[in-house]
Amino acid sequence: MKVIEKDDKVKIHLKINGNDYETEVEPRKLLVHVLRDLGFTSVHIGCDTSNCGACTVIMNGKSVKSCTILAVEADGSEILTVEGLIKDGKLHPIQEAFWDKHALQCGYCTPGMIMQSYWLLSQNPSPSEDEIKEGLSGNLCRCTGYHNIIEAVKEASQKLKGH
Amino acid sequence: MYPPKTGYVIPDSLSEVIEFLKAHDDAKILAGGHSLIPMMKLRIVRPSYLVDITKLKELHYLDKKEEYKIGATVTHYEVSKAQIPLLSEVASKIGDPQVRNMGTIGGSISQLDPSADYPAALLVLNAKVKIKGPSGERTEEFSLFDKDMFTPDLSQGEVVTEVSIPDVSSYKYSYQKLERKAGDFAIVGVAVLIKTNGDEVEDFRIGVTGVNNKAYRSQVAEEMIKGRKINDEIIDKIAQEVADESNPTSDIRGSAEYKRKATKVMTKRAILDALKR
Repeated sequence: MKVIEKDDKVKIHLKINGNDYETEVEPRKLLVHVLRDLGFTSVHIGCDTSNCGACTVIMNGKSVKSCTILAVEADGSEILTVEGLIKDGKLHPIQEAFWDKHALQCGYCTPGMIMQSYWLLSQNPSPSEDEIKEGLSGNLCRCTGYHNIIEAVKEASQKLKGH
Repeated sequence: MYPPKTGYVIPDSLSEVIEFLKAHDDAKILAGGHSLIPMMKLRIVRPSYLVDITKLKELHYLDKKEEYKIGATVTHYEVSKAQIPLLSEVASKIGDPQVRNMGTIGGSISQLDPSADYPAALLVLNAKVKIKGPSGERTEEFSLFDKDMFTPDLSQGEVVTEVSIPDVSSYKYSYQKLERKAGDFAIVGVAVLIKTNGDEVEDFRIGVTGVNNKAYRSQVAEEMIKGRKINDEIIDKIAQEVADESNPTSDIRGSAEYKRKATKVMTKRAILDALKR
């Protein structure tokens, strides 16, 4: 059993987009803040009640809201953020589809939206329109009205199947 | 947004969890963290320590023999994919996908939000809760475990370790959740189990969440239909009875009057939907 006192810091390891990071955190520190402190500023904070999904990342294969996870809890996990989707300077098909379909305006929800789409398509490669809406229901967008996001996920689904 | 300072405990076994909780009365168990961390971020709770049970393999299993045995840290997503009659459908309607990836059945029932989805189903399924604590292990009917809103039958040092669900594969079922938007808590949620023999109803169970301090079953409504044939008139009577037994409060999700009417509507929908399957 390991006990960390409230005024102590604890060393944690995270594998983010394939690279290893080590940092010291207080137990109360949220994962979203640690990711941003480490330079992954695509991970956004849009609320303080776990509704908006702007902080969504993939942790150990699951999409999660990094604002509702303590960094110490994530110790040892593998995390994928939108920065990790580009391969050799080439956009991921989901990123391409968001561009093609004009699925972003201010871009603040976009990293979380893309990571949730990434998880959705990993679970369900051919989602129906209703399944896309339900699959993205934990991600709020103030700009697009969602229509073009849904079109982008449909297009990404087609592109990924072609791969 | 910023949780208060807290200690953090990473135990190697369940017995260490129990021991630590017994010695620290204001320590809290951290499971999926999707009720506890939001409350800490609003500083509604200030635990001295969080005891992280997420890495304990002994609490993470899902078995089926005569009944389903679900370890406390099984997530809503895992329950939703497990093809458990009624319960999997209920799990698929909790929160949003990210929440379901983290939230656990043990955490949900230890929290006991009065608008939570599971309780309506756990009541009609006659679910049992296994609890381990300093004085050993005990098993409690979920209906008794759910003492009041946010008030589970847990004493200091006790941990929910398992939820067991009898097999009801011979039943038709439905869970109807009324919500303002996808991802929200229920305004009202109605779970039904119906066993028919020809046109006749052999067994009927109905559980309701969101419109009382805790989820309830209507025994009056259940008895109205047993041994009889279903028709529109009796469905209407059952729905009225279920609504009459509700005791909703007015809040941002609607007035008490609206919620009582909605309870009647959702009861009808749940029965009709179950019969169609």
